Amino acid sequence: MKRYFNEIIAMTTRLLIEILRMRRGLIFWVVFPTLMLLLFGFIYAGGNSTTKSFDATAPGILIGAALFFSCLGGPVTLIVAERERRTLRRLLVSPLKPISYFFGIVTTYLIIAFGQSVIVYGIAFIFGGRFHGSLLLGLLIIVLSVFSFVGAGFYFGARFTRRTEDVNGPVAAFGVPLLVLGGTFFPVSILPPFLLKLAYIDPIFHMNQALKGVSALGKGAGDIFIHLIALGIFTVLSLFLGAQSYKSMLHQEKKGSI
Amino acid sequence: MIKVHDLVKSFGNKIVLDKLSFTINHHVIYGLLGPNGSGKTTTINILCNLLEADEGKILIKGNPLSEKTKHLIGFVPQEISVYHELTCKENLLFFSSIYGLQGSEKIKRTNELIQMFNLNEYENVKVTKLSGGWLRRINIAVALVHSPSILILDEPTAGLDVEARYEIWELINTLKDNGVGILLTTHQLEEAERLCSCIGILKKGCIVAEGSLDELRLLVPAIQLALIASEDEQSLRNRAKSLGWEYRRYGDRLMLLMPERYTLKEVVYKFENIQLSSISLQDVGLEQIYLEVTRE
Repeated sequence: MKRYFNEIIAMTTRLLIEILRMRRGLIFWVVFPTLMLLLFGFIYAGGNSTTKSFDATAPGILIGAALFFSCLGGPVTLIVAERERRTLRRLLVSPLKPISYFFGIVTTYLIIAFGQSVIVYGIAFIFGGRFHGSLLLGLLIIVLSVFSFVGAGFYFGARFTRRTEDVNGPVAAFGVPLLVLGGTFFPVSILPPFLLKLAYIDPIFHMNQALKGVSALGKGAGDIFIHLIALGIFTVLSLFLGAQSYKSMLHQEKKGSI
Repeated sequence: MIKVHDLVKSFGNKIVLDKLSFTINHHVIYGLLGPNGSGKTTTINILCNLLEADEGKILIKGNPLSEKTKHLIGFVPQEISVYHELTCKENLLFFSSIYGLQGSEKIKRTNELIQMFNLNEYENVKVTKLSGGWLRRINIAVALVHSPSILILDEPTAGLDVEARYEIWELINTLKDNGVGILLTTHQLEEAERLCSCIGILKKGCIVAEGSLDELRLLVPAIQLALIASEDEQSLRNRAKSLGWEYRRYGDRLMLLMPERYTLKEVVYKFENIQLSSISLQDVGLEQIYLEVTRE
């Protein structure tokens, strides 16, 4: 157990150093949600008090503009970089366990998610927004969302991307429509009924609805039960898909060239 | 220390390794040479426990190759596969942790490697800022964090200038002197000639020649070689035949295998009346041995 713990710490430390040194990505992960929050916060305020609009926009922005890009796009980029630099092969030769590798990545993005949550809610707080529900429940939703995004990131990274140039394609093609459908930038109440039905199979919809319910409306676990269950299912599914794709990628990497 | 015995590996119908056997001991640099597709990479992958052999066995210090014996092997890939955003020291610390070193032991080993590889000046420099020779150094150093008994070096000096290449050779020799058994694959025959105490030449998945350079020289039926070019190659061949000398065609020149030593003047005299455009004499080296044993 201690060995796994040490490996996870080593992976997390390494990733955090790398992320902190590659400032461009880090700045994007801070600037983009900040700007989106300010923009949508003021748009929905419509010139009136910003209290309610920042209450309502902060959760969606955190999920869609912050966690989506860092916790899904980040692992995709990371896996591609490991393959391109051939460091993945070196890690395969080492005694590092794949589970430690995965949890090292999850821990890193949980730390980043925590930082992004503080920034998004810090800015919302300045403009009158508040977290109305249980912080613990909010934390659970964020943790499940991070696991779900990282699992999906592993899936896309291992399955669809071989080079750095391939990263933006799948993230944009699959991710952005899911963000829009999931009510990240617009309330889902404006969706036509058939799109609303479709939204129920969009994990981002459930992340948004769960976090909005707790954060903006002060709902409890019972009120958002359906979203929590859906989020749980998506998390398990994305972790399963991610693990399977990762295993098949490792198999390919192990084979190498003849 | 590492004994590879009758290794067989196929991919579909293609037999890549066909009863491959060799042994590497302490203080030995074993050069595994062979043309592309001869099975070098597959051999490395099996030794690194990345691939499973279909048949045969590998013993490391008497124990079968397994996850448990992984720590006895260090692998240096051809590509610079370290983390470019980390410093040299950070890379060493990371890989030390991955190999289970902790606390003072980790720091001690990292500092030892920094000293051994002369990385003091660059220990806090990001890898991305290093030049070719230093990149190769850190690439090798991270493979040694766990003090392996066997080090696998895949083309360790590919793409380096002469000076950097000599420095890496010196390092490899130091490692050998420290007791590490080294498996070296390279396409640079000069490198193998300079470093390896034993050379195995791989062809179609099995060793077709093995031994020290002097032992391998015996495989070429010549004491000395003459490389000759002429517009009238047919006459050259006929004359060589009449002298009882074997010949090989390499590129645009004919290589004559001479059974005894001659001076240049004597060889020119033997080919009088044939217009020669170039002629040179040389001793049998690894290049000729390699070409001789790998030719179809």
